[in-house]
Amino acid sequence: MGSFLAPPTMGESPVWPRGLSLGLRRETFFSLLLFACAWQIASYFAPPYVIPGWQAIGKSLLHLHMEWIAVTAVRVLFSLLLSFGLGALLAMLMYSSRAFERYLLPLLKMLMAVPVLCWILFAVLWFRGVEFRIAFVLVIICGPIFVIDLLDGMKGVLREWREMLRSLRPSKFQFFQKLILPAILPAVLTSWKVNLSLAVRVVTIAELVGATSGIGYGLVVAQGLFSIADIFAWTLVLVVILLVAQQIITLLEDRLLHWRESA
Amino acid sequence: MIASRQEGDRSSGQFNIRVNQLRKVLRTSHGTEPLVAIDRLTFSVMAGEIACIVGRTGCGKSTFLNILAGLDHPTEGEITIGENTPYNAFDLFKGAVAVIFQQDRLLPWRTARENVELGLEILGISPGQRRETAEEWLTRLELSGFLNAYPGELSGGMRQRVAMARAFALDPQLLLVDEAFGHLDEVTARQLRVDFLKHASRRGTTVVMVTHQLEEAIETAEKIFVFGKPARLLAEIDTPAALSRMSKEELRTFIQETIDSNQPRQL
Ligand SMILES: Nc1ncnc2c1ncn2[C@@H]1O[C@H](COP(=O)(O)OP(=O)(O)OP(=O)(O)O)[C@@H](O)[C@H]1O
Ligand SMILES: [Mg+2]
Repeated sequence: MGSFLAPPTMGESPVWPRGLSLGLRRETFFSLLLFACAWQIASYFAPPYVIPGWQAIGKSLLHLHMEWIAVTAVRVLFSLLLSFGLGALLAMLMYSSRAFERYLLPLLKMLMAVPVLCWILFAVLWFRGVEFRIAFVLVIICGPIFVIDLLDGMKGVLREWREMLRSLRPSKFQFFQKLILPAILPAVLTSWKVNLSLAVRVVTIAELVGATSGIGYGLVVAQGLFSIADIFAWTLVLVVILLVAQQIITLLEDRLLHWRESA
Repeated sequence: MIASRQEGDRSSGQFNIRVNQLRKVLRTSHGTEPLVAIDRLTFSVMAGEIACIVGRTGCGKSTFLNILAGLDHPTEGEITIGENTPYNAFDLFKGAVAVIFQQDRLLPWRTARENVELGLEILGISPGQRRETAEEWLTRLELSGFLNAYPGELSGGMRQRVAMARAFALDPQLLLVDEAFGHLDEVTARQLRVDFLKHASRRGTTVVMVTHQLEEAIETAEKIFVFGKPARLLAEIDTPAALSRMSKEELRTFIQETIDSNQPRQL
């Protein structure tokens, strides 16, 4: 679970008292604090349009369109859920049919080789609806990653386990439910982490294509107004969103995969 | 030690196993030559018998057991259990055949109790009854203190006991065992073997057990089948009859020589 955010119970290093910690390790807290101080000191020497101080960023944070955070978060979440649903479906079909896998895999590999910027341009060329464009870009980028990760996970289920389960003569559904799903759960959660950070970074660019709300749009507006502190404030918001989302998945991992502590 | 049959014996003719001219040819990834794993194997096991299969490593014992379990198809010939073939009439044997594998094959995300419940879940047995049966078997196998332990927290011998409980909980008519006690130390293996036989004979279960420990076979089985390499029948031994004529040591020597010569022999 290679996160620098660790739950209070599992860190090897001393942790904050429960309640205060938010799951942060002491080192994490201090390294962030150190960065904040260095930034503040730098802001005294550089002009405010290069490195604005924390008081300027803080002021910006107060007057940002907070509802745009929710708008962007909903876009990311919706697109990821859709990608996951489609990805899981395709992965299951590919797992069940060798032929299907052989036809689909090259196409997926091709999709994954296309740069993000090209997808955004295609979205503008092909579709009119702004929300549709954003969802399209996110799904076309995250979907194939889910497919590949899930398929790898399913194929990695040990032959010994598959034989053991088959010897009990389960239905196809039971085979998935009792073996495949729990066996790939770690891979599923890891895949969600990867795709979350990808989606949060891509959504802002996708929001440049005609959106009139959202963090990406907020960034464009800030740039237009030459309001540097706003740009950094939005960036800060994005980073925090991503870290919080990652932390939620890490906590989920510890809940769902607590058997791994014994292994 | 030969298990004596008690009440609850289900050894009706329905579960006689007949292996007829069985052949299995495997395609290997490394060599171009197909590998003959089983070569014209013919023998029978009567319902309720405890049969042991012995033979050299790599002679096709696990391959045979997989076909008998219905997990694989033969290339030629057939196996019938009663009237049916376990690989074609796959679902017919649901709940009737259980396997204890060479490794324990427990699912690491399930506790000991949940692992034992697995087969019962697949049979659609109610949660309450599942739980009761699982706890009963784990207690019988001296694991009552580890119902909620994960496999990662158990020793090798304990894990093998859980795997045993998982098979017994199904109350199968046919129990297939592949070197289940092979990798354990002698004391643990002996104790497990004793437990195993006690429970198998109590229910009149037909047992087909693979081992390469000849002592284990002689102490356990009513019938011993000596396999050559590739798997074909070299000798069939009725253990009680043989032991009435010779000592355990002599029988052991006979089996060992048969395996080494790789030729069919009469006792
Ligand atoms: N999936 C497979 N594909 C190709 N060859 C295989 C496969 N499984 C087993 N074999 C080969 O078939 C032969 C018989 O293997 P098997 O596992 O049945 O032997 P075994 O008698 O159980 O040996 P051991 O006592 O070591 O467990 C071996 O030579 C092995 O290399
Ligand atoms: Mg084997």
